[in-house]
Amino acid sequence: MVKKSVLSLLVILVTLAVLSVEASNRPNIVFLLADDLGYTDIAPYGSEVKTPALSKLAEEGIRFTNYHTAANCAPSRAMLLTGVNNHLAGIPNIPEMLAPEQMVHENYQGVLGDNVVTIATLLEGSGYHTYMAGKWHLGAEPGKLPSQRGFERTVALMDSGADNWEQRPYLPIYDEANWFADGKRFELPDDFYSSRFLIDKTIEFIDNNLDDGKPFFAYVPFQAVHIPVQAPQEYIDRYMGVYDEGWDQLRQTRHDRAVELGILPEAVSMNRMSTTADWETLSPDRKRYEAKRMAVYAGMIEAMDANIARLVAYLESRGQIDNTIFVFTSDNGAEGSGAQDPTAFPGNILLSSAYDTDYETLGLKGSFNSISPGFTSAAVSPLSYYKFYVGEGGLRVPLIISGGPVSDPPAQTAAFAWATDIAATILGFARVDTPNGRYAGKPVLPITGKDLSPILRGEVEGVYEETDTVGYELTGHSALFRGDYKLVRNLQPLGDGEWRLYNIVIDPGEVEDLKAEMPDRLKTMLADYALFEEENGVEPIPPGYSRTRQLVINMLREQNGAAILIALLTMVLLIPFVVYVRTRPKS
Amino acid sequence: MMTWIRRGLTLVVILPGLLFLVLGLRWLVDPASAAPSLGLTLETGFGLSSQVADLSAFFLVAGLSILIAVVTRGRTWYYPPAMLLLIAATGRLIAWLVHGAAFVPQTIAFEVVVAVLLLTASRYLPERD
Repeated sequence: MVKKSVLSLLVILVTLAVLSVEASNRPNIVFLLADDLGYTDIAPYGSEVKTPALSKLAEEGIRFTNYHTAANCAPSRAMLLTGVNNHLAGIPNIPEMLAPEQMVHENYQGVLGDNVVTIATLLEGSGYHTYMAGKWHLGAEPGKLPSQRGFERTVALMDSGADNWEQRPYLPIYDEANWFADGKRFELPDDFYSSRFLIDKTIEFIDNNLDDGKPFFAYVPFQAVHIPVQAPQEYIDRYMGVYDEGWDQLRQTRHDRAVELGILPEAVSMNRMSTTADWETLSPDRKRYEAKRMAVYAGMIEAMDANIARLVAYLESRGQIDNTIFVFTSDNGAEGSGAQDPTAFPGNILLSSAYDTDYETLGLKGSFNSISPGFTSAAVSPLSYYKFYVGEGGLRVPLIISGGPVSDPPAQTAAFAWATDIAATILGFARVDTPNGRYAGKPVLPITGKDLSPILRGEVEGVYEETDTVGYELTGHSALFRGDYKLVRNLQPLGDGEWRLYNIVIDPGEVEDLKAEMPDRLKTMLADYALFEEENGVEPIPPGYSRTRQLVINMLREQNGAAILIALLTMVLLIPFVVYVRTRPKS
Repeated sequence: MMTWIRRGLTLVVILPGLLFLVLGLRWLVDPASAAPSLGLTLETGFGLSSQVADLSAFFLVAGLSILIAVVTRGRTWYYPPAMLLLIAATGRLIAWLVHGAAFVPQTIAFEVVVAVLLLTASRYLPERD
């Protein structure tokens, strides 16, 4: 009897020891997420912007050339962190752009639903330290903060964006820039610059617990390069003069470099967006100003890269680099809604009260900067459209997976990959099971993303079968991927509402519409899309919906709702008195 | 006020009067076709009773008051439809602000413009001798 007990104890101890060794061998994971970064905005994808840290990660890891995400930020983040379609996860669009008719639906609240579990929660539950420093934008209400969605230490921006130099909102829809740390409101330090600060905090979080032997998951959603586009002067200076030839030249140069790098299989045809102005018709002053707008943008990317380099150097210095996996990507394509000319009406009126747009100080503290749509098209070269649209320029972005534990992967892959796959892949790295319908005693949606690890190990060329479909919708803009083909419909103002069919492997620029040549495929994919809408609770957009108009309407209600209500009620009370005064018999 | 301006104003005021009259009659005769123009789906039972009764009353009182004002040249008849429209526009704004309804600027603008026209008519069109 005693012998049996001792034997059982030994078996338990050995099992625990094996599990413990297994746990300690699990890799650290650093998830770096750029904001509004275009397809060819970093050097390993064909950019002239110097990004040595990302280039090194790309050289040592794998570049995905056919990775797609959502067309705007919160929907993308919902999929990245849960592995579940954004419509099911409660974020079909950012809340700032949702119409009241849409918000009557439970899954149209614009905040992360309680029916999904984040990878941070799953990783924390399996013994990981989980850290976050950067933009959250998945809900600021109780229960929705990152500190309540699986992140052990956080410093997080709740809004769609904010100033990079100080605690200041970038749009009048916010009273203030809403930063939280570990679940409580947080004041930024005086020497704040977003990319530097976020990496400082990430290093601080990691360093505090590094000696306990547990692996960590660090999520770093940068503000770079979301508007306002701002950068330290030293980084801006490096790109002065680089963009003097204009956006058409840059779009072609990046295309050519992407071909040289093998990002594009060969030279591809490109559309010219209607929003791209004729560079040659601009005055010398306008050209000078536009070139500087883009120089600040490039400087902001390089500043982000320099801070990624600091994080890598820190991990090297602490002997962690060989056990750390890096995932780098962008939440969506480059932002194309910057003003054509921010110094002219109406941009100057809108911004003059809050920010300046002077040439000399562009991108510095107190300055508001964006890039014009022409340079946005260059940022996504050779793709069509950009953020908020479902052309490849809005959806296709860089994805790099790298680091010691990812041993000897192929240099790059043209395999199709989708935002939900990131969650599944990260859980695969950590050897954490995905929730199968339940987690922590309550039902949750299963992860639908696919683990990309077999591609990294060179075992398969892709994880999607020819018949697998991935659908996507944002404010009526619609897309469906199936094999090499993409069904796509962009609405106004830039699109025409027509369905089109492209082979995005040989025609990533979406130039040759194949729907007349392939009516059967078109019919099949239209049916697939209808099924996607049905299965994912996609609701039709309200008649006359426009995202810009809805943003303004929601802003009016949020900022001035109480004052308007008091005025209206007062008016209702006064109407009978006015009528009485005007109709009473004159004596 | 010059005669041709008065005549023009009278004509402009008659048009919404007729429109409201037609809308009111539609709610009585064919509510199924009238409902979608206001973003409504037709209820059943008590709800249908309220829709037909209250909406036909709203539009018929508004339309008839305008036409009575024009025919009788009694200025005070312009005030009930003006009040109905202004309070309706206010209600739309409150519905948007407080109750999560859609913001419908075109409809609000129409109601306010017609109400202002009615108040202008009440001030400038000649009163019965």
